[in-house]
Amino acid sequence: MAAPFRPCDHCAKPAVVHNTVIVNGQMNEVHLCEDHAGAAGIQMPGQAPIHQLLGQLAQVAVTRPRGPACPECGHTFHDFKTSGLLGCPACYDAFASTVGPVIERSHGGASEHIGNVPARADDANQRAALLQQLLRELETAVSAEQYERAAQLRDRIKDLRPTTAARIDGAL
Amino acid sequence: MTDLTAMMAGDRDVVMSCRVRLARNVSGFPFVGRATHPQRREVLETVRAAAGPDEATVGLVGGGRVGASAAESLSWVDLAALPKRDRQLLWERHLISRQFAEGDSPRAVAVTPDERFSLMVNEEDHVRIQVLRTGNLLREAFDAAVRVDATLGSRLDFAFHPKWGYLTACPTNVGCGIRIGVMVHLRALRVTNEIEKVKRAAKELHLAVRGFHGEGSEATGDWFQISNQRTLGVTETGLLEEFAGRIVPAVVAYEREARRVLLERQRTLLEDRVFRGISLLRSARLLGLDEAMKQLSSVRLGVCLGLIPDVALDTLNRLTIQLQSAHLRAGESGIESDDDERAARARVARTILGEQ
Repeated sequence: MAAPFRPCDHCAKPAVVHNTVIVNGQMNEVHLCEDHAGAAGIQMPGQAPIHQLLGQLAQVAVTRPRGPACPECGHTFHDFKTSGLLGCPACYDAFASTVGPVIERSHGGASEHIGNVPARADDANQRAALLQQLLRELETAVSAEQYERAAQLRDRIKDLRPTTAARIDGAL
Repeated sequence: MTDLTAMMAGDRDVVMSCRVRLARNVSGFPFVGRATHPQRREVLETVRAAAGPDEATVGLVGGGRVGASAAESLSWVDLAALPKRDRQLLWERHLISRQFAEGDSPRAVAVTPDERFSLMVNEEDHVRIQVLRTGNLLREAFDAAVRVDATLGSRLDFAFHPKWGYLTACPTNVGCGIRIGVMVHLRALRVTNEIEKVKRAAKELHLAVRGFHGEGSEATGDWFQISNQRTLGVTETGLLEEFAGRIVPAVVAYEREARRVLLERQRTLLEDRVFRGISLLRSARLLGLDEAMKQLSSVRLGVCLGLIPDVALDTLNRLTIQLQSAHLRAGESGIESDDDERAARARVARTILGEQ
């Protein structure tokens, strides 16, 4: 339904700006035509200078709360929240602090892979996975007081990463 | 004629089929949802080249299987170029997911002639290895899936993280990236209203209970898919043992006990349902899908209890697929309206079960 005709407070032209102003606790309605609104310094909707408008839009795009992006693929945490999917393998490290807890919750609190390792996982990955597995086994062996087994495991760990083994030596 | 003893030995009276699925991604590419079409095409070509032309090269044939020398070829189906009806056909046969059936991005599926293996490329993950078996042959399915994984993993760099394991687009699959599942027919538990107990127990064990067509589908005609939800902090063999050694035997025993109780206490009611079911399937002229599945469920129970000796379980398993919409439309031309489809469904049921 069209709005009822309302003339400007200062002339007979139709009012296009309708404001309510409160002065000294007194509420007053103000109705102005385009000309008088401009004279009063009121910016008409849709009349903002184009450069100002574009500037505002650009700012909205930049400051929209999407969070940091994955350096590899540009996926954001917002994208993850919307789709439930990550963008690339690097996202797992890029969002470790936020996605990590989500992963753990969805896997009953588990926080580490203990299954198979791919045949062609690069050496570093494979070594790291094996190291973690051996460390877990060592912990179990020590708590079960299986010292012979623990010593064997410690040797294997030493071969894999001397620095870690030295640390374990100190702890034992 | 169905051999009840043999059927019980393979749990086929309760377990309709089992499935092992592995999710993998190729290193160096964004996950499918983030990849451009050219990247998806590249992934497709890379995986296709790695899988090779036949069962032997993909690693399915091995371990001294009889006939291993006669390698059969894999059929590669380009989903983007496939008509809608044929995509649905693949979905109805459980060879692809519903998600994979939709959309127009570069993706394909490789299927063996016996349809017991499928390799989806560019579904949610770059690679989805799927092995299906009729009945409870989880260990066999598992071995085959692991063999294909090892073969492909020796030719492709799969995305892997020392802490999180195999990296997948959805973090719910991360770790082993494995889903072990069984399709079970729990008609008696449904009739005795004990199905909710099964669902509650499954939830406590971190298992998902879904319908006939998996994720997003409601249980149709008393068929349920039970699968693991946890894939991190577990080993592949640990999960297999849990499923094959504990979960499936428990579900099978529970359903059998419910069947025994039904037979003992409500035999007439049970027989009435079973014989109404077979009569309807053998004589109906118009048959909706829901009704067909419901009656097939009653008949299946009857066959498993030895009440209908002239119908084979395999026939019923086949019918549950053949009575689906796209299968009817592929088998007969000129099906346009819903009534045409219902008439075709009734014709197929009558023909296969023998009109009386």
